[in-house]
Amino acid sequence: MDADGLNRRSFLRTSAVLGTGLAAIAAGLAPLRNLKDFTSMEQFVQKYYKELTPEDMEKVLKRIENEVERQYGIRPHVRDLKPMDGVQFVYCLNLSRCIGCRKCVHACVAENNQSRNPEIQYIRVLKMTNGSFDMEKAQHDYDPEKVPEKGHFYMPVQCQQCHNPPCVKVCPVHATWQETDGITVIDYDWCIGCRYCEAACPYWARRFNFAKPSIPKDRLNPNMAYLGNRPRKQGVMEKCHFCIQRTRAGRYPACVEVCPAGTRKFGNILDPNSEVSYILKNKRVFIQLKEELGTSPRFFYYFDV
Amino acid sequence: MMKNSAKTPAVLLVLMVVFMVLAVGFLLNLWGNPAPRPEIPLVDPAFISTQTVRTSYAELVAQKADLSDFDCYGCHEKDKPPTLRFDADHNLIIPKEHSDIVMKHGSHNRNNICFNCHNENNLERLQPRDGRELKFEESSQLCGSCHGPTYRDWEAGAHGRMSGYWDRSKGQFTRKDCVSCHDPHAPKFPGRKPAPPPHPLRPLAAPKHEMERED
Repeated sequence: MDADGLNRRSFLRTSAVLGTGLAAIAAGLAPLRNLKDFTSMEQFVQKYYKELTPEDMEKVLKRIENEVERQYGIRPHVRDLKPMDGVQFVYCLNLSRCIGCRKCVHACVAENNQSRNPEIQYIRVLKMTNGSFDMEKAQHDYDPEKVPEKGHFYMPVQCQQCHNPPCVKVCPVHATWQETDGITVIDYDWCIGCRYCEAACPYWARRFNFAKPSIPKDRLNPNMAYLGNRPRKQGVMEKCHFCIQRTRAGRYPACVEVCPAGTRKFGNILDPNSEVSYILKNKRVFIQLKEELGTSPRFFYYFDV
Repeated sequence: MMKNSAKTPAVLLVLMVVFMVLAVGFLLNLWGNPAPRPEIPLVDPAFISTQTVRTSYAELVAQKADLSDFDCYGCHEKDKPPTLRFDADHNLIIPKEHSDIVMKHGSHNRNNICFNCHNENNLERLQPRDGRELKFEESSQLCGSCHGPTYRDWEAGAHGRMSGYWDRSKGQFTRKDCVSCHDPHAPKFPGRKPAPPPHPLRPLAAPKHEMERED
């Protein structure tokens, strides 16, 4: 044995330093402890939504139910609802009636399990001056003692579910697409969080989860859909999806059901007896936002004249 | 092999201390955290409620609520139509027994007479102008006898709020009566306090200078 270089003292010294060095490296990898909250192996290797067989989808739904139960303590009911035949959803909003109370904003938040802090709200109500339709001059943060205020009208804006959606065109991974009943959906497990769709949307309909969403446990809505209101994770986009868990089961969206002024109308435009068909046949003044961009939205704002 | 100089123990000791501090710092997550966000209070549940501000007579009957307020002949005498009193400016004087009523149906006091809608010979019925008698549950027809276009829109589902199922083959829809939302004596909606404005992560840009109106 070579007694010159390595003796017990230098060995102990070196290993002490190396040991603390390795401990520091290991501690630096400490965030990996939270990997289980971020993704699981099944989610990581999950196939694209349109390639999932019904059996695969069953497993995926079960995984989601387990994750939600682990995080919130409530077992939800997650379904994968398919679009109905002969249905094209259309939304009509009566600008003569909106009083700007923001009940639709909060009903949507409650129904769709949106993060309360940081705050995500799919609907933004704009306060506009009478006689002007310039959205650049709208106020978002009005908070008077009483609404509606004289000389102003209120315009709630959410995803317009365009016929020709720019967000679908720019998604590099096809995590968002338009379904046959007209709803533009997002697969939260496929989204990579690049936010190109947020940049492409002219209506600022898309919301991004910059931080882990926080939903109070007692306000969780357990009636969930895979493409709809199941809880999202940090780093994915979300947006209005016409309450897909309600509308594909035949019910009105939450915003329609809560409006105290009866401003919002929703239905199937291919049904001649629906109220949206009646409105589009009988009312005279219709506005599609930013019509000149060619997105062809499904949202028709109208006045009661 | 390693060089053994006099400074080696000191250097190694310093390195060890540095590594220990780093290890503790990483484990306890002492730096690199995002700035703490301000607390956002949860919204008042009243803003999520789908309850209408009023309850119609039909809903009260269905709920088996106390209907003694609608027993007109508990106080009034039959065959004796009540007399209306007006002040010097032709404003209706509401009797103190009905002091919860505010009479503001249309501008310029145009509906200042109770018996435009109520039947003076049978207080438990309503009377549209064409001579029919309507029960309180049928009050929407009374409203429609003057507000025709609104009534037509209401029947089609375009006025007022529809709830339940848009797909009639899957379930029922409900349509509220006029009086579930409108006070028949003062039908115009009073203002209300809106829900709080949004709390974005970064403050909103101030809107540009508002357009000046020409009038």
